[in-house]
Amino acid sequence: MRAFRAGFALELWIIRSNPDALMPLFTAPLFAIIFMAIVRQSGRPDLESDALMAPVLMTLLWVALQHAGTLMVGDRWQALLEPIIASPTSLASVLLGRIMSLMCFGLLSFFEVWAVGKLVFGVSIPFEHPVELFLTLVCTALAMAGLAVTFSALLVMTRNAYTFTNSTSFPLYLLGGVFVPVAILPDWIQPVSSILFVSWSSDLLRASVNEAPVESFWPRLGMVLLLGTASFAIGRVVLHYVLRRMRASGELAAA
Amino acid sequence: MSAVATTLNVMQHAFRAGIADYRAIFTWKSWLAGWYVRVLAQVAFFALIGERLGDDEKTYYLLVGNSLLIAAQVGVFSLNMTSAERWAGTLPLLVASPSSPVVVFSARGAYLAIDGSLSALGALFIAGPLFGMDLPWPRVLAVVPLTLLVGLASYGFGTFLAGIVFRYRSINSLVVVTTYVSLMAACGVNVPLSYYPEPLELLARFLPLTNGLLAIRGVFAGLPAVEIVGNAALELAVGFGWMTAALMSFNRLASRGRRDGSLDFGA
Repeated sequence: MRAFRAGFALELWIIRSNPDALMPLFTAPLFAIIFMAIVRQSGRPDLESDALMAPVLMTLLWVALQHAGTLMVGDRWQALLEPIIASPTSLASVLLGRIMSLMCFGLLSFFEVWAVGKLVFGVSIPFEHPVELFLTLVCTALAMAGLAVTFSALLVMTRNAYTFTNSTSFPLYLLGGVFVPVAILPDWIQPVSSILFVSWSSDLLRASVNEAPVESFWPRLGMVLLLGTASFAIGRVVLHYVLRRMRASGELAAA
Repeated sequence: MSAVATTLNVMQHAFRAGIADYRAIFTWKSWLAGWYVRVLAQVAFFALIGERLGDDEKTYYLLVGNSLLIAAQVGVFSLNMTSAERWAGTLPLLVASPSSPVVVFSARGAYLAIDGSLSALGALFIAGPLFGMDLPWPRVLAVVPLTLLVGLASYGFGTFLAGIVFRYRSINSLVVVTTYVSLMAACGVNVPLSYYPEPLELLARFLPLTNGLLAIRGVFAGLPAVEIVGNAALELAVGFGWMTAALMSFNRLASRGRRDGSLDFGA
């Protein structure tokens, strides 16, 4: 737990000293304006709450991919992987602490989007089912952390990690149904979407801000957690094998 | 060798260096399976919003706007040039050399205008028919040079911004991403310019993409050639203006960095 806390605090310091890390907090309000403008101009006020929720999910995914997913790549380039692995502290605990720190940071986008809706368009996030909304956001952030561990493990040895993460963002927004529900996607894509926890999260988030009762809330929330845990487990296994290979072949340092 | 010949020689070498950089990042397979899939997904993401709104016209509006945005987005990536030089440790050498850094940067990243235009056209001509959009032949051919114009104008804008953030490496990615999402929000990509308050509409006219996109929408709508050419001329003027601003400001900003020692990668 101490390693987790240390990782959490470390990442907060890194965010503070790196203005580029603030990027999602700049883009989330802009995406909220874009989506709100589209639905307003099209005369669809019923989609306004969805337009406000989509940038929150996009921000969390962005943070999981671009920041959390490339943590270890950054460490490797800065020759930090060797001392981290040599220390008795569990790498996974430190990593998870750092990733959770980033996820908490990403959740700030919810308040930004809320403010943009209120100040620019005079619309608030409708808190129709506040408990469900809160639990969905928390579980989504946890599942995102699991996904980030997988990305981190998969990308640590790649030459162009940033090119990969850059290429993955919009395909994930699309498959995850962050604005357009998976049901509207072509039939052949839907099975792929259904194994992504993001599609469950986005459906639940939309349901939480709509007036109608949230159907089968607990099983759907359970799927978010289950798929997020599966991501984390895959990430742990991949990380184990990747680190073993790197240690054996002397590839821990980027040079 | 005359000054012009020397400049052309520098530009030729810088362009080749840019191509070599790009080939180190992408092979044609990784470009298709990575970048192009992202581009298609980005355009489809917005086109599907149109489908959700249940309005074919809106779907096509979003599809055209977001396809063309790709040309502007990649053009703006020229901002990364200075940061890359800095990481490589070659920026101080470049500034110390007798060639102007802006000549090197403008030539080295010129492939971005081409790459952006190809990506945008690839998205438009593949996603368009997939969403049932009509591509009026042969009028649609006019979209090709207009897209290149958008790519070049955005590249000029990106080069200007590169001069501004020259000494602030830590905000480079922040400026790149915020700039292209701002272009997405302000240039008539997703909603018509008339939706915005008048001052914002006026400001958008000075940004790359806005006028070129109007010209391209004019091609699809079958507007008179004079209107399309008028918007294209405005896009050209905007691009020329940003590139001129880049040429005028870049060397002065670089000199300031030389004076206060903020050019090396440790700064």
